[in-house]
Amino acid sequence: MSGPFDALRDQLLGAAEELGDGPAALPEILAGMVDDVDHALREPLEIFPVCHHSPASALAMVRRLREKQPKVIYLELCEDMAPLLTELRNCRLPVALQAFASELDGFPVESAPLSVIAPITGGSAEYQAIAYALETPGVELVLVDRSTDHVFQWQPAMSAEPDPVGSAGTPEEDLHGDAVGLEIGDLRPRFAELEEHLLHHGRVRHWSEWWDQYVEQPLAGADHDTYRQVMVLIGSLFRRLAPQNTARWDSDEDRERYMWTRIRQHLAATGVDRADCLYVCGAFHAASRLAEVGSADGTPDFEITPRTATKWLYGLIPSSHSAIEAQFGLAPGSVSIAAATWQKSLTKTRLTPFELAGQKGGRKTRKALPPPTAEAVPADQLTGFLSGPPTLDGLDEQELRGWCVDIVRLARRSGYLASTADAIAIFETSILLAGMRGRARPTPYDFSDAAVTCIEKDVVPGRRDVRRLCEILLGGDRVGQVGYDALPPLARDVYDRLAPLGLNLEQRTIQRALLDLAAKPELAACSQLLWVLRYLLPDHAVRPVIGSRRLGEKHVQESWDLDLGRHQRTVIELGYEGVTVEQVLEQRLRRAAWDPKATAAVALKAVEDSLLFLASPRLTDELGNRAVELLAAERTVDDAPVVLRRIRRLLAHYRSTAPALPGWCRRFVTEGYAHYCTMLPTAFVDGEAGVRQVGAMLGFLFSMESLALSFGCDRAQLELAVRQSHPESPAKVALLWAAEHQLGSMPLPELRTRVGELLANPLVVPAFPQYVSGFVQALEPVPRLAPFVVETLSTAFARLPDPVLLPWLPNLITTLRAQAAELVPVLTREAGRTFPGSLAALDDWTAPWNARGTSPTAARVAPTSGAFAFLAEHPATTDAVADLLGCPGEWPLPEPATAGPAALLTDFPDTAAAIHLLVGSPLA
Amino acid sequence: MSDMLRAPAEIKYADELDWLESIDDGPKPFSWRLSPKMVRLFILGSERADGLDRDVEQKWYGDRSFVERSIVTLASDRGLLLIGDPGTGKSWLAELLAAAISRNSTLVVQGTAGTTEDHIKYSWNVSMVIAKGQSRASMIPSPIMTAMEGGVIGRFEELTRSTSDVQDALISILSEKYLSIPELDSDNIVFAKPGFSIIATANSRDRGVNDLSSALKRRFNFVRIPVVTNKKSEAEIVRFRTEELLRRHNIELEVPPTLLDVLLQSFADLRAAAGAATSDDEKLESALSTAEQIGVLEDAILHSNFFGAATLDAETLAGSLVGSLARRSPEDLAILNKYLHGVVEPRSKENGGEWTGFLEGGRQAIATLS
Repeated sequence: MSGPFDALRDQLLGAAEELGDGPAALPEILAGMVDDVDHALREPLEIFPVCHHSPASALAMVRRLREKQPKVIYLELCEDMAPLLTELRNCRLPVALQAFASELDGFPVESAPLSVIAPITGGSAEYQAIAYALETPGVELVLVDRSTDHVFQWQPAMSAEPDPVGSAGTPEEDLHGDAVGLEIGDLRPRFAELEEHLLHHGRVRHWSEWWDQYVEQPLAGADHDTYRQVMVLIGSLFRRLAPQNTARWDSDEDRERYMWTRIRQHLAATGVDRADCLYVCGAFHAASRLAEVGSADGTPDFEITPRTATKWLYGLIPSSHSAIEAQFGLAPGSVSIAAATWQKSLTKTRLTPFELAGQKGGRKTRKALPPPTAEAVPADQLTGFLSGPPTLDGLDEQELRGWCVDIVRLARRSGYLASTADAIAIFETSILLAGMRGRARPTPYDFSDAAVTCIEKDVVPGRRDVRRLCEILLGGDRVGQVGYDALPPLARDVYDRLAPLGLNLEQRTIQRALLDLAAKPELAACSQLLWVLRYLLPDHAVRPVIGSRRLGEKHVQESWDLDLGRHQRTVIELGYEGVTVEQVLEQRLRRAAWDPKATAAVALKAVEDSLLFLASPRLTDELGNRAVELLAAERTVDDAPVVLRRIRRLLAHYRSTAPALPGWCRRFVTEGYAHYCTMLPTAFVDGEAGVRQVGAMLGFLFSMESLALSFGCDRAQLELAVRQSHPESPAKVALLWAAEHQLGSMPLPELRTRVGELLANPLVVPAFPQYVSGFVQALEPVPRLAPFVVETLSTAFARLPDPVLLPWLPNLITTLRAQAAELVPVLTREAGRTFPGSLAALDDWTAPWNARGTSPTAARVAPTSGAFAFLAEHPATTDAVADLLGCPGEWPLPEPATAGPAALLTDFPDTAAAIHLLVGSPLA
Repeated sequence: MSDMLRAPAEIKYADELDWLESIDDGPKPFSWRLSPKMVRLFILGSERADGLDRDVEQKWYGDRSFVERSIVTLASDRGLLLIGDPGTGKSWLAELLAAAISRNSTLVVQGTAGTTEDHIKYSWNVSMVIAKGQSRASMIPSPIMTAMEGGVIGRFEELTRSTSDVQDALISILSEKYLSIPELDSDNIVFAKPGFSIIATANSRDRGVNDLSSALKRRFNFVRIPVVTNKKSEAEIVRFRTEELLRRHNIELEVPPTLLDVLLQSFADLRAAAGAATSDDEKLESALSTAEQIGVLEDAILHSNFFGAATLDAETLAGSLVGSLARRSPEDLAILNKYLHGVVEPRSKENGGEWTGFLEGGRQAIATLS
């Protein structure tokens, strides 16, 4: 005789024989399995084995609950999550129960934050049990599994980073983040070989398909006893074949002891009749034969360790089918297919599932339960299971035809050249494939294979391929949503404060918010909140289209793209960190600044952010003081450019907004001055410190000098530091020269001579570009060197030989762009001033430095100035002072009679006088 | 020993096919010799769970669903197009399918740039036409026409190598299932018998050379065969093909499993390197397919057998690897040199074993070639 379970039996026997200790162990395993089933059935407290995402389990659960109507339900779910369950009413499934801890006590601190999630889908046995218990008066739901705290206590050698499962691509798949996933009824072979064996011999591609074909379909219409026995049987086999002496095995056994201990405690405390109870657990646990398992009096208890002092926070986060698939390694689309099967079975069996009142997307009316049916003695259904006649569904042609037509329509919309002929071909191919795979009717997996075969050609024309389209067709991804009332205070606060925008933020599409802050100043608070969210949430959740927030900027209009509907989880998880976003932000800023790896630049950024997003002078001061501490303790100058940029911005901000600089700013400038003076000689010779870094140090020293001196610093310190610096690399030498020039110890002519010498020395010429780079970097600390840098560059272009010049040019451009982007405008401006602007002017143009070379006197100080005229009138005094100072000078020759404009002016004095009058300056 | 250098699958596995046919009680589409389930069993080999009296060897290695989809396509109204990189076993699968379904895998048209419509339809024996005029007797039917007349599977290798107008000759054959001969006044239509279908193969690297028209694409179901990257199945394929080779050449030589590992690992490394390369100059010209691996091993085995000490050693294997993969003189040699010194050398220092000999052999081969 053949039966629906024949195939399953063959597979399980095959697996047992191959993966046990050879054929000899087979009888023992088989006898053991039958014993396990017998043992589970004899337990007076009814055990209801389930498997996750199994419509058959859910159906059996609905039937059983209606028949038995138990008074107490024990559920395999972390006991500390119980208060969350009633909040499921406010949500649209699938959602996940979450326990979250960021302040750890008793766990390694580096593993924070700890997060555990347990997703709940509408078509699951556990949801049916929850809904029944919460909606039926007088029924108690008791969660008996270990607490989330124990989940981590029992995790061997807890790693700093939990499984990287959540790092999947699409936002739907990433709904769970990097939480540790828990599932009720995890029934999957515990070792790869068994799974591989079953897949190979079952001629299916993945576990979900195997389960669907060999267990789900045959069990769909099975009665309670058959269901229970078959599930325990499978659980028993997997249990017997699973590798023992592993951490997971130990943890599973401890969980069983834990659960039964809790059950017995509850029974003893309430005195409820065991016949009125139902224990819902995974089939794997149902087959347990441990000594501590059982509700009988005198069964040894398990010693439950106390929880750590870690403070756990609880909440609900939205989940989705694809997130569940990604987290638990299920085949893409399998949860959606299970959900579709569940809906279909409900329609077919005309069963009314249990549902929480107020559930979004749920039914409105509920009928009272019929009276419970009398308890029958469990009969042996296993024999029937092993030899019963087939009761499979026939081919549902209507449904298959619908799929074929729909997939062709979808494919056309995605750019495929699919036609009705393809629909016919898919129909035919599905049936042929199912026949070849030994199935009575095509499963969704056969259908999607057939669709791929018939429609998919050599290229995918659009964004989605046919397989993805099939997934969408067969139920598609469902994304859950947590209702307002079930949200943590922070998230509710966010939604309340954004309410003036008048947008539906729960929608899973991008919402555009337009804020006209001039016309509606009351929206400024929304804008402020959006900027804080922008800082705290991942990139896509809130995104400014127009508007920016920087020190000293104020916008009258802002435009935002808000995608909070799809990022509900992240908003909810912020809720675990604090009560308001401002509090969370403050904590984050503090954490950043007090991080062991924090640098002064990081702390300055925190200061800047606190100014931008939080009006809290106290926090800003604390962060500023932290920045001073960090700067003084720094031993490298890597961050000097960033520090310089940030402190400049902050000083400019304070100068324009506050009457006086805050104390920390003063200390930062004085400390910085001293710090960089100390570091300067080392940085000049240190190969690790780049030219840019040294340039930024000098920039700090020179541009903050007046401020630092006013706060009591001593310039001698800087002069000494420069004198102690003896760089070797050409770029740094150039930088040093620039510094000496700034300090007055190297006048421009000397600088020019040195550059000339470099160009004249053929041995140095190849290194000349590096000198130029140094000079370019020197524009930061010594901006007035710009004309000289333009001159040097120009000279370099003129005089460097091609083999040196040409390879250097691209290098120069990339270096400028990468390291000195902000200096390029200075250079171009200066070049614009120096070089002629039109072609005609080019003919007569002589470079200023060349002009100086031909008539040195013309380059000297303009003799027309008042001071010069005064000195020239009393040459004796001036000569005496010059003598005293030891610098012999020479007087410029009397200006020769100039032709051109001057001559013109003297020739027509009337015109000149009239213009002077017009300009309004008296004649000299 | 057969007097054929390489027997087609239906002759090579004639025994097995006869036996399968004798026990096959499943429904057979059209004039198929085996039922679809048996065709799958013939290609993918038997399991103990199948409860057969004798073992059926696995002949093609790859995802089960590819084979199933291919068989089902042939049982439907459409032609089958196997598409994939060179050396992924497309032609071998096509041959096995044709052999299992119609016991004739030799009705093959080889697509080239020189293929004409005559090769697909029919041509004329000119001297017969001059002597007797145009008649069915003076016609030379193409392999495809023969397949139509016999109700068997015809094959078209490298479909995309032939030009588009030639490819389009298949459109009417695949949709109308008949071929008209306008030169004849009577008996001028050849109707395809039930069971006729076409298995074409196309090289995905040739994409864009002669793209298939949409009309033709619609008449083919595409099954894409990926490069085998699973080490276990690759080892199986190499072992299977090598044994066949040794049998064919009557060579008594053992391939040490450690050496097979070295070969597989080196191909895996080179594939990873090709994947990471940013320009064509940084990767080998070879597609590094499984067929290429078999080629390397075959070369090494033949070399050892005829010129060596009748045992396969790592040096010879490395020499064959370098010889087979170095196609462009500076580029490929440079990549192989980099691989030997960057990957093999550290590994030989760390693990020793066959890798030391492999490194030495590789060095010598590169030195000879450069």
